[in-house]
Amino acid sequence: MSQSTNPTTQFQTDANRVTADVDRRSFLRSSLRGYQTTRDATQERFLNYESARIAAGDAKWEAIENLDVYLAQFADKLEARGATVHWCSDSAEARDAILDIIKKHDAKSVIKSKCMTTEEIHLNDLLEKEGFEVVESDLGEFIVQLRDEAPYHFVFPAMHLKKEEINTLFQEKLKSINTDDPEELTMVAREVLRQKYLSADIGISGANFGVAETGMISITENEGNARLTTSLPKVHIALMGIEKIIPRLEDLALMLPMLATAGTGQHLTCYNSQLGGPRQDDESDGPVEMHVVLLDNHRTRLLADPEQRDALRCIRCGACLNVCPIFKNVGGHTYGTTYQGPIGSVITPHLRGLKDWKHLSHSSSLCGACSETCPVKIDLHHHLLRNRRDAAGKGQGGLAERTLMLGFTIVMRRPWLYRLTGRLGKLGHVLTKPIHGTRIDPFYAWKKTRDLDDPAKQSFKQYWKSRK
Amino acid sequence: MSRDAILGRIREALSVKTDAHVREVAKQSSHSLPVLANGPDGRTQAVKEFLPFVGESLEDHIAAFNVLSDKLQTEFIVVPTIDSARQTLDQLRQKHQWERVGIHDHELVQSCVDQLPVEFLNTSSNYDAHELEKCDVGISGCDALIAQTASALVTNHSAGGRALSVLPPHHVVVADASQMVTTMADGFAMIREKHHEKWPSFISFITGPSRTADIERVLVLGAHGPKKLTIIMISE
Repeated sequence: MSQSTNPTTQFQTDANRVTADVDRRSFLRSSLRGYQTTRDATQERFLNYESARIAAGDAKWEAIENLDVYLAQFADKLEARGATVHWCSDSAEARDAILDIIKKHDAKSVIKSKCMTTEEIHLNDLLEKEGFEVVESDLGEFIVQLRDEAPYHFVFPAMHLKKEEINTLFQEKLKSINTDDPEELTMVAREVLRQKYLSADIGISGANFGVAETGMISITENEGNARLTTSLPKVHIALMGIEKIIPRLEDLALMLPMLATAGTGQHLTCYNSQLGGPRQDDESDGPVEMHVVLLDNHRTRLLADPEQRDALRCIRCGACLNVCPIFKNVGGHTYGTTYQGPIGSVITPHLRGLKDWKHLSHSSSLCGACSETCPVKIDLHHHLLRNRRDAAGKGQGGLAERTLMLGFTIVMRRPWLYRLTGRLGKLGHVLTKPIHGTRIDPFYAWKKTRDLDDPAKQSFKQYWKSRK
Repeated sequence: MSRDAILGRIREALSVKTDAHVREVAKQSSHSLPVLANGPDGRTQAVKEFLPFVGESLEDHIAAFNVLSDKLQTEFIVVPTIDSARQTLDQLRQKHQWERVGIHDHELVQSCVDQLPVEFLNTSSNYDAHELEKCDVGISGCDALIAQTASALVTNHSAGGRALSVLPPHHVVVADASQMVTTMADGFAMIREKHHEKWPSFISFITGPSRTADIERVLVLGAHGPKKLTIIMISE
C-alpha cells in the first residue's frame, strides 16, 4: 500500500502480490460465500425483492434529483432543533470545521463510530497530529486502527484478518490474554472501549441517511458503538456526504431493510437510530451540542454528470464488493481508495480525478454482477464503461492504447490489410508457440497466465464463401 | 457563504436533466414485476407489498415476531397480565442475580418493577452515566413492537433517555399487545401521531442483542451494547 507511487502502478503491484497469495484469497472467498448464503435466504423472505429494489432506487432518485430542495430542508429542520450545520466544500473545510469544534470544547479525547467519510477526509491523521486521542469504536475499525491500516472493505473493515493475527495484535497492543477465540477477543475490545465512551469529550459518527422532512440523521449498526458514541459524550459531531439525503421519514421503513439485506444479509441490523438535534429540554441525557458537517468534496461534480449522477444514489451497503470477481481476487487495499470495489471504481475518478484513477475502470470483467446485486439499481458496470470512454475521449488512454486503437482503425478500414493481418497473426501464433508465456514472448503480459488456442483452419470469410 | 456555494453548485449541476436511458434502466425489471407509483406513498405501500409478509392478525404478528426473535437470540416472552410480567421479571432477577436495575418514569415499567427487591437507578432526570454502567440491567418501555422485523421501537421518552437501553449488559423491554404493529412505517406513524411533529431527539429500532461478526464472520453477542435482550409482552 505504498502511498508515494502513482495509483496505477500501486494498483498493479498490489494486485499481483495479492492474487499470488492463494491462501488469503481462499479465506476471503469463503467468508464472502457465507455472506451470499445468508443474503439469499433473507431475500427469499421478501414478497417481491425486485420490486422493492425499484422502490428503494426511486426514493434515492427523488432525493438526488431534488437535492437542493431536500438538503436545505434537512439543514433548516436540524437547526430549528438546536443542531449546528456546517457546509463544507472540500476535505480541508470539513477538517477545519471539526477541529474548531474540538478545540472550542478544550477536548482531550475523541471516540468515533464507523464513518467512511472521515476516512475520505483523513480526519484521524489530523487529529492525532494535533495531539488528540482518537479511538475507533467499531470492532473492525478498532482492529485496523491498531494495525495502522486503512479499512479493507467499507462494511467489513477487518475481513482480511484471521483470528490468530488479531490475537497477536491484541497481545502486542493491548497486553491482552492469549486467545484466538472470536468471542474472547471481542470481549477484550469491549472492556477497553467501555471506559473510552465514558471518558470521551467528543463523539464523532457518520450518517447512513439524512431525513429531509424531519431533519434527522439515521445511523445503522450492529454493535451499539454508534449509540454509545452519540449518547455519552457531551458533543456529537456527525460527518455526512451531501448525497445521503432521503425525502421522508417513512422512506426509512424501506431503505433500512434494503441496506441490511444487501449489506450483511440480515433482515435488519441491530440498531437503526434516528437522531434529530442535541438533548432537548424535556430529555434526560444525550449530547448538549450536535454538529452536522455536510461534505461536498466533488460530489457536485459527479452530480453534474447527467449519466453518472446515478452513482450518488449509493447507500454504501458494500454488496457490489461482495459479489465482484475482481474484489475477490485483488482484495480491498489494492484499490488504494476510500471506497473499494465497483462503486469505488465508478466514483473515485469523479471525486479524485479521472487522470489518476481511470485504471479502476479497467479493474472490471464487465460481468455485471455489481449492477445485478445493487439494492438501488445503480448501473455500475455501464458506468465503468462510461469512465473508460471518457478517459479515451480526453486522450488519457495511454500511448499503448492509442497506438493499438489507431492500428485497429487502419486495419479495419482496409479489407486487404485485414486479410493480411489475419494470416500474419496465424503465422505469429505458430512461430511464438515455443516461447509462449515466457519473458521473450512479445505478448508476455497477456499470455503469461493464459493459453491461446490454435486458430480455426478456415476463416469465417472462407467458410461463408464455401457455404455458397 | 458555503451553504449558498454548495446549493448553487447543486442547482447548476441539476440544470442538466438526468440522461433518460440511465433513468430508464433503474426502473426496468427483467422480471416484469409490479412497480408502484413514484413518491412517498408508493414507498410506504412498498413496505407492505414487497417486504416479508407477516399476516394481519395479532396472532400472526406474535408468531412472526417469535420466529425472528429465535433467530436473533432475542428472548421474547408473552405473558397474560401485569402480574405475570412481575413474576417473570422476578424470575429473571433471580436467574441473572440482578442487584442494581436501571429504570425510568414509565407507567408500565413502574408497575412491573415496583416489588423487585433491588436497588434502582432512575434515568428520567439527570443521572450519572458511570452509575448506569454499573447496573446489571436496564428496564424500559417502548413505542411499538414491529412484527415484520421483530424490533422494539423506542425514543428517549419511551425508553428513559438514550443510554438506558444500550449501556447496561442486559436490556428488558416491557410492552403491551396493543403496541404490536406490522411494519416500521406503522411505527413511525405512531410516533408522528404521539408527538405531533415535535420529534424526540432520539428514535431507535432495536432488533436483537448487540452483535458483531467482525472477526472471521463468527457471530458474537454483546459487542458494545447489551449481550441480552428480553422483550416481555403483556397480552391482556
